[in-house]
Amino acid sequence: MKQKILTLTTLLFFSFLSFGQGIQITGIVKGASDGIPLPGVNIIIKGTTNGVQTDFDGNYTITAATGDVIVFSYLGMASKEITVGSDTAINVQLEADTEQLDDVVVTALGIQKSRKSLTYAAQDINAAELSKVKQTNPVNSLSGKISGVVVNRSSSGVGGSVKVTLRGNSSLGNNQPLYVVDGIPLSNPTGGQPNDTFGDLNGGNKDGGDVLSLINPDDIESLTVLKGASASALYGSAGLNGVILITTKKGRAGSFKVNFSSNILVESAAYYIDLNDKAENDIEDFFNTGVTSITSLSASGGSENAQTYFSYSNTFASGILPTNDLKQHTINIRETAKFFDGIVTANASVLASTQTIDNRPVSGLYFNPLVGAYNFDSPGERLSSYERFEEFDDTRNIQSQRWFRPTFDIEQNPYWILNRNASEDINRKLLASLNLKFKINDWLSLQTRGTYDQTLLNYDKEIFATTEATLAPSTGRYIFNEQDIRQIYGDIIASISKQFNTISLSANVGTSTTRSSTEILNADSGTAGGLQFANVFSIQNFNANPQVSLSQTSLDKKVNSVFASATIGFNEKLFVDLTARNDWSSSLPSNNNSYFYPSVGVTGILSEVFDLGDRISFAKVRASYAEVGNDVPANTVFPERQILFGGGISPLNPVRPLGEVRPEQQQSYEIGTEWRFFDGRFGFDIGYYHTSTVDQYFQVPVSTGTGAVTVGVNSGDIINQGFEGSIFITPIQTENFKWTSNINFATNDNEVEEISNPSDDVQIDNQVISAPGVNTFASYLVEGGSYGDIYAQVVKRDANGRPIVDNGALIINDENPDNTIAGLEKIGNANPDFTLGWNNTLTYKNISLDFLIDGKFGGETVSLTEAVVEGLSNNSRRETENAPIEVVDPSGTVSTLTAQEYYGLAGGRNGFTGEYVYSATNVRLAELAIGYNFKLSESSFFKNIKASAIGNNLFFFYKDAPHDPNVSLSTGNALQGVDVLGLPSTRSWGLNINLTF
Amino acid sequence: MKNINNIFLSGLALFSMLFSSCSDDLEGIDENPRNITQEQLEVDFQNVGSLYKPMFENIYQYTPPWSYQLQQNLNADVFSGYMTNPRPFVAGANNTTYNLVSGWNNFIWSVPYSNVMNNARTIENETKDEFPELFAVSQILKVTAMHRVSDVFGPIVYTKFGASATTSEYDSQEEAYTAFFNDLEEAIQILSDNIDSPRFTAFDLAYGGNYESWIRYANSLRLRLAIRISKVDAAKAKTEGEKSLSHPIGVMESNADSFFINGTLDHPIKTINNSWGDIRMNASMESILIGYDDPRANSYFSETVPGDNTTVPVVPGSLKGVRNGLPLLPGYADELAQKADYITFAVLNDNVLTSSVQLMTAAEVFFLKAEAALRGWSGSGDIQGNYEQGITLSFQQRGSSGAAAYIADNTSTPQDYVDPINSANNIAALSTITIAWDNAASNEEKLERIITQKWIAMFPEGQEAWSEYRRTGYPKIFPVVSNQSGGIVDTNLQIRRIPFVDSELQTNPDGVAGAVTKLGGADNAGTRLWWDVPGGNF
Repeated sequence: MKQKILTLTTLLFFSFLSFGQGIQITGIVKGASDGIPLPGVNIIIKGTTNGVQTDFDGNYTITAATGDVIVFSYLGMASKEITVGSDTAINVQLEADTEQLDDVVVTALGIQKSRKSLTYAAQDINAAELSKVKQTNPVNSLSGKISGVVVNRSSSGVGGSVKVTLRGNSSLGNNQPLYVVDGIPLSNPTGGQPNDTFGDLNGGNKDGGDVLSLINPDDIESLTVLKGASASALYGSAGLNGVILITTKKGRAGSFKVNFSSNILVESAAYYIDLNDKAENDIEDFFNTGVTSITSLSASGGSENAQTYFSYSNTFASGILPTNDLKQHTINIRETAKFFDGIVTANASVLASTQTIDNRPVSGLYFNPLVGAYNFDSPGERLSSYERFEEFDDTRNIQSQRWFRPTFDIEQNPYWILNRNASEDINRKLLASLNLKFKINDWLSLQTRGTYDQTLLNYDKEIFATTEATLAPSTGRYIFNEQDIRQIYGDIIASISKQFNTISLSANVGTSTTRSSTEILNADSGTAGGLQFANVFSIQNFNANPQVSLSQTSLDKKVNSVFASATIGFNEKLFVDLTARNDWSSSLPSNNNSYFYPSVGVTGILSEVFDLGDRISFAKVRASYAEVGNDVPANTVFPERQILFGGGISPLNPVRPLGEVRPEQQQSYEIGTEWRFFDGRFGFDIGYYHTSTVDQYFQVPVSTGTGAVTVGVNSGDIINQGFEGSIFITPIQTENFKWTSNINFATNDNEVEEISNPSDDVQIDNQVISAPGVNTFASYLVEGGSYGDIYAQVVKRDANGRPIVDNGALIINDENPDNTIAGLEKIGNANPDFTLGWNNTLTYKNISLDFLIDGKFGGETVSLTEAVVEGLSNNSRRETENAPIEVVDPSGTVSTLTAQEYYGLAGGRNGFTGEYVYSATNVRLAELAIGYNFKLSESSFFKNIKASAIGNNLFFFYKDAPHDPNVSLSTGNALQGVDVLGLPSTRSWGLNINLTF
Repeated sequence: MKNINNIFLSGLALFSMLFSSCSDDLEGIDENPRNITQEQLEVDFQNVGSLYKPMFENIYQYTPPWSYQLQQNLNADVFSGYMTNPRPFVAGANNTTYNLVSGWNNFIWSVPYSNVMNNARTIENETKDEFPELFAVSQILKVTAMHRVSDVFGPIVYTKFGASATTSEYDSQEEAYTAFFNDLEEAIQILSDNIDSPRFTAFDLAYGGNYESWIRYANSLRLRLAIRISKVDAAKAKTEGEKSLSHPIGVMESNADSFFINGTLDHPIKTINNSWGDIRMNASMESILIGYDDPRANSYFSETVPGDNTTVPVVPGSLKGVRNGLPLLPGYADELAQKADYITFAVLNDNVLTSSVQLMTAAEVFFLKAEAALRGWSGSGDIQGNYEQGITLSFQQRGSSGAAAYIADNTSTPQDYVDPINSANNIAALSTITIAWDNAASNEEKLERIITQKWIAMFPEGQEAWSEYRRTGYPKIFPVVSNQSGGIVDTNLQIRRIPFVDSELQTNPDGVAGAVTKLGGADNAGTRLWWDVPGGNF
């Protein structure tokens, strides 16, 4: 058996080289309805591996022998077979395939369903759309192209992670969707996300990255977004926030194809606070022009029985922050083979990726070069003169930091930080999977799959001696962190597909097990522990004292599941969808670790049931209800006490649940309808959703007088509801010119219905999303409020709106106590109310123009960056240019303060952040691509050459905030709606060349 | 086809196997084996032993330094007149200008509750019956930590700590003090009965397991608390104080008896002072120490941080203090510009910032005895002898010479303060009290003399100094430059307490409401505590 596979694989590679003998057939392939030539039609001699594709004008040439059968196939069209006779010119017209028009959607667990039978909202985009304006993280391409997908890029530059929110936030834990690659859940550890506006003393507010950037965008065949829990009930808890299905490319029978694409992007810092001329010159000098090049090569092909896909890609990028760069290599191999006359299908794939990022940018105040860069205000000096960031100190015989004033906790020479507080991230991913499918008979098949998914995250930071004393002792500091995250997944699914007269049944029964484990090693010589010998960065050089930190963490979780689903179709007009699942999770107490959840959905194809006339080509309605249960992260309910390196045990008792721990639950329903008119030239899909997330496992603070600081309780009810829809239209379609347009929109209304259940022993008013720490920005979940509410310190004003100044200080507003928590007042919400994307493709002959306008409406954002700059320096432009501000003292006497004086009082990280609130509403030209498809002669070596010029995030039609509100400091839950010296968002231009041969 | 059937069958078998074991194989997975379980902790009795270190190191928190900065440095250490911040944090709107920063003040409460009370309760449960002497030491540490918390807020959660899993009820300060006296009495009794037990030696960061020293400390602490309530409940104070004074083992006699916590980490102020430049000498300290030409001045302060060859002291050759309660002064663009000037004032000397944290000295005890004698408590000895012995021990502790001449100095007085950078901050000395004992002086003057010297000797422990300032009004320290309390705090009477913390208001509103009733006044910084009685001291 093993020998056979080897032979087959070998054969398969050589099979590309075999050619048939015979005559040359040429022709043109067009669409039957409109007569437009079809590019990229697959043409294969039946029973062989010989195949070609049509060029852009629908032309093809193939060698065949008389009597051979040529198969023409094209997505969305019915395949056509023609037997070669005496004619050497064969022109073909392909008919639209009604079956295929209601195309196939890959749904939960890799199960394929016809789109028309879906009882919930699903929307996808294909490879062509993804690669138009290529992003290093392919998920960035979703913004505006799929309704209801809110994408927030991380402010950590190239290789940064992405926050995706579908249908609003509901959880204090994870709100990100599940990513599924070819039917198997992907482990997507974030490597940690910042949660403090001040910054992390242990290396700065860093983005731990995600694994999505480790996937080669060119390997993706399509991305499908299943927005709600209905779609994902079969994935279990992980699919609670929706699912993004990534289908990768496979080899195709008959056509050996090589694709080469190269993409170069040049970016510049574009959206940051308004600085005075000198500071602006300095900052422009400081930021570099970033360059990203993505190159990928793929080869695919095979016979009917075995197909191969291989790809390699690399990304080299240098960021706008000096010294920040990224190198990434990804390979992907996929083999598909059929054995025993097609009874067994085997599918094996390996994805391996490695990524090295130097000096991933941080946000917040610690270790952030932007603090010094924005606030540099040494009279008569240029920031660039501090590129010489060190000077010799003969008292210590060492190179020491050079800066125009004494450094302090949050401010150092930015070039020193970049060169002498440098960090390196090395991330590696290995994803290997095997899928065996047995076709038992024509209605029953059995499938088993397994994946091994490993992510290794390494972080290393070398902090040299003479770094600011808050951050490192006099001999320097070394931080080393290593995380090894593994997930092993296995399942067995029996699939039944049978037709009983007019009733169709498609059902699956299966079981799966997921084991995930995380091993973390963290070594940090600390802010006080120190190194024995200056500037030697190794663990053996740590001082042996309790202020160094050395720790290991080992977390393990196993979830076993059984599940079943059935879709029953009545006359292809009405479909009923039922699912049920039971999970057993090791992270819940053993007496309560099992939870069951069902879903039910129904859809009716109105256009099949009723005669709606010629203009309406398709119409359906759908409705579904789903429940999803959820466990908690590993080691949450009964953690043990921690041991501190050299410091005994942690003084705090571990957090314990107050009572019984229950699994969390989400209930959701959605309804929707989908219509297509005029043979699909116009259509829309609109739906309403409602989800309620209850019984989350909250860690709740209690009075310290109880002996505990926090206890665990199941509580809360968070509701998300809204509409989402898309409209697609082809306003113009002639032989040479075509304009297709796609509008996506969604609303989200989030309400915290309950924080404490009235019956709970502990009643709380709020849950912290972003703790204020010692700054004046916070986010709380409050009953009656919304997820993402922003709290800031607001200036008290008199009846005429003039700020009150007492004794040289502004006063905190105390007139809104109901919306005030710990001195901070609710001033907005980080999330948009309405999102709109307008995506257009215009083609004229060989030229194409694509543009995407992306809009977010509603929501607020705070510029702590501006506050910090106005508190630390006078570099903000408005401090010198704005008119004086009228203020009053408590007795009502009016006086004026210069803008510099006023913002000096209001600014600072812990100042009056209420003065730095902006609307987050923004509309931007997100993507622009102008492409040219070269007309190639038939004898050309290349099958297809396409070149395009692309632009990304080019400008804002409207924006209020000084920063780009689409960028987040964290792709976790905290730090939304605030910018604290995050790396500015960029504008980029580039070139893309795609060769197929 | 046979192959296929076999595969199918084995698939089914695997399926049923998985199904049957869905929950059986989940046991033990949820543990983090790198942490320690209760069972593992019980080996070598570490379930009790390991709890003392966090208690010792969190009464006055060792680490992280910023946490200590909020627990005490930016409140009591400043309010006491010892030190102040050269940087006007929050544009001058902070604790030191009576614009209280609730986010900071949470630490005053949470640190001792999480790290001391909690562990004391576990120790009580595990040892009270079997190893009472271990329990007794824990009780002394508990009173050490919690009287400080009560001295900040007034009512605290003490006798009903841990009574409910969800809420907590406060004791009035009077109830808490009664409980402190009872707990100390019980501890002293238990230790006296088990005086030779070596059980605590391995865990002791203060006295190497010597219970006699612990009894001396407990008696001294009881004397401190008794003196504290001498104005509000003179009879109870006398009773409790005399118990200590008449105890066979008695109170501290020599510097070796002083209560220091010998942690393994640096003194937290060292980082705040040396590395961050966030704390400097207070103008009141300068006025008194320099006015007295006190030889201890140079062991308490120096002109620059050791190893700093670049900072030029503001007035080379002298130790300059900073006025407390500075707003963001006119003429400074921002906090840092102001800090850049005031950071060049006198720094704390590393001598007082060793890894030993001073919580009570023998010198303080002699000053307590001097006051006890002044109040006529039996067993307290001679007033003047105690006073002079207090000074002598303090000199000895600091390695300073010239104690005899200092004690005899009857002319030096606190000096006027001059701010060399902003003369608007200049202020005349508030007192003309001299050093040398004067038997003919009034009781009030005698007390001022005792407390002023006690204040110097207790440096740098600002918590006790601030409490005694509030009780007695001595020494006469300078008021804040900017009072941003909106009339709640009287500038001359100075700040009397800190309001109940936000974390309690949020998690325990009913408990706090009860506490406010027991406080007997508004929950603000101007309300006097129970032992803080207005008017003269006699």
